[in-house]
Amino acid sequence: MTAARVIEKEKIPKLAQELSKRFDVFVPQKKDQEIVFDRFENGVKILLGYKTTLLPPKIFFLSPEEDLFRVTNGRVREIKIEKPFVVFGIHLKDLSGIVQLDQIMGKTPADPFYLNRRKMATLVVISEEEVGVPPGGDLILEKISEGYYRAITLTPKGRRIAMLPLFEVKNISAKKYPPSYPTKLDQMIVDSELVAQAVEWSRQNYSQIWERLGKLCIGCGICTYVCPLCYCTTIEDKTSFDQSICTRCRKWDACTLPGFAQIAGGYNFRPSQKERYFNWFYHKFVRAYYEFGQVQCVACHHCQLYCPAGINIEKVLEEIISQFQKANPERKS
Amino acid sequence: MKNHFHPQKVKITKLKDMSSDVKLFRLKPMAEKFPLNKDDLVFIPGQFVLAGLWGYGEAPFGLASSPLEQGFVEIAVRKVGTVTTALHRLEEGNEMTLRGPYGNGYPLDFFAGKDVVLVTGGCGIPPIAALIEYIIAKRDRFGRVYLLYGALTPKDLLFREHYSAWEKSIRVILAVDKPTPDWKGHVGLVSELVKDIKINPRNTVAAMCGPGPMTKALENILRPLGVSDRRIFVSEERRMNCGIGKCQHCTTGDKYVCIDGPIFNYDEVQGNWD
Repeated sequence: MTAARVIEKEKIPKLAQELSKRFDVFVPQKKDQEIVFDRFENGVKILLGYKTTLLPPKIFFLSPEEDLFRVTNGRVREIKIEKPFVVFGIHLKDLSGIVQLDQIMGKTPADPFYLNRRKMATLVVISEEEVGVPPGGDLILEKISEGYYRAITLTPKGRRIAMLPLFEVKNISAKKYPPSYPTKLDQMIVDSELVAQAVEWSRQNYSQIWERLGKLCIGCGICTYVCPLCYCTTIEDKTSFDQSICTRCRKWDACTLPGFAQIAGGYNFRPSQKERYFNWFYHKFVRAYYEFGQVQCVACHHCQLYCPAGINIEKVLEEIISQFQKANPERKS
Repeated sequence: MKNHFHPQKVKITKLKDMSSDVKLFRLKPMAEKFPLNKDDLVFIPGQFVLAGLWGYGEAPFGLASSPLEQGFVEIAVRKVGTVTTALHRLEEGNEMTLRGPYGNGYPLDFFAGKDVVLVTGGCGIPPIAALIEYIIAKRDRFGRVYLLYGALTPKDLLFREHYSAWEKSIRVILAVDKPTPDWKGHVGLVSELVKDIKINPRNTVAAMCGPGPMTKALENILRPLGVSDRRIFVSEERRMNCGIGKCQHCTTGDKYVCIDGPIFNYDEVQGNWD
């Protein structure tokens, strides 16, 4: 038995309500048959234990479309989020995605728009499963019994929330809710180096898989939009109807879309879907490994859940690794 | 924290038609001067900027002026897309935006004390022009210097009014595919002019910037001269959008052209599939 700050399951909506007095609070909720993050309002049912939201919570930091600058009569204004906000009820996998994005966007030269949004945000994770080593975030509410969640605080922001009277100190003997993972994908990405080597090797030595996937992939970009940490973007300008206001905005882009690597004049450095799909893998599993020492995948399986062509990246990766190990028996893990 | 996305305002102080679809823009900062980097240069030849116009966007351009000139920078704008078409509509005295310089530039200290072969084609010449201006300003630091420049017709050769000044300090070798009747230079590929070059291959570096086919020509020029791939520096062209290694548009293999490049050792990028 140990003493811990805990919150009763029934009080979790009250916590969101309490926070909404001071912050904009966004919670997972059901809208039009889909689970999405949206603003908390009284009466909104906060979903606990959901598998995935339609779009990951990266939308709060790298939104599908965000204004960077507004120019009115020649005066340039940088757009900044002024009001602190709370993303409440984040899935542990999505949190891992945000933690990696922090590293990517924070790397010098850093992305000030992303960092500003992160500075204004408090991340509250609710986990129905045992957390293990917390990847980051401000506060994690970990399920310890059918009626209670334990507060794991990681930052002063998180500690301030856990000190609210809605929490109580209780002697607990935490019941274990073993995680539903590791899935095969979780297991594979643990060995980042093997994955990176295998994917790099496959381009020339097992190209039939990319031929096959190039024909399957319809180049819609959905896998990248639902990914908790894909971050391809394009900056574009918009002008108001009377041309008095210009807005420079940043939009999600996707390296699997046909024109992504096309330059002015029309030359395309990745002219076929085969190359574009391979590049998606290459970025996640090879370039990311070289740049940050880890693969840019959190094994959430969102991409395969939403892929209209039914591409299952777990199976793809499994096939590549198995072929690579067949050809390189010394690389058996 | 510096916001790299926030461009500075610059004024167009000179506009010049360089060919039927390329204009030279001379851009003056709103402050008196552009700041110097740690090498006392405004930029390193080979570095690029993102120039643009509010309401239309930004596009990448290699800087073409002398890096020792603090009062202005120059870019050559080929009318080829939305941004460049909008830029072509501007006039002297108009304002536009600029951010950068970005990327690495040619390794000037590595070039010092060596013979230099510069190879370019068409509208790939701007960064090479900046490099030539630097070499001429520091002429004693370099050995024999050759410019091999090819274009479709004589009218497509850019920076024509600079050649006579350049020729006082370096050897300028020009070639066109389709000559006009008054053309006195070479007709054909620049690679056919290798015989005119006298260098010590073991003490030579090469800088190159040009469209894709140029790279092939490069192999035909520099390999026969005995210059190793390691000492050939190519400028890669990609769709740089953010300029700071985030947006992913400019990747080639495991490199980002905007931060690791745009200048690469030839052997670093020659095998890349993209």
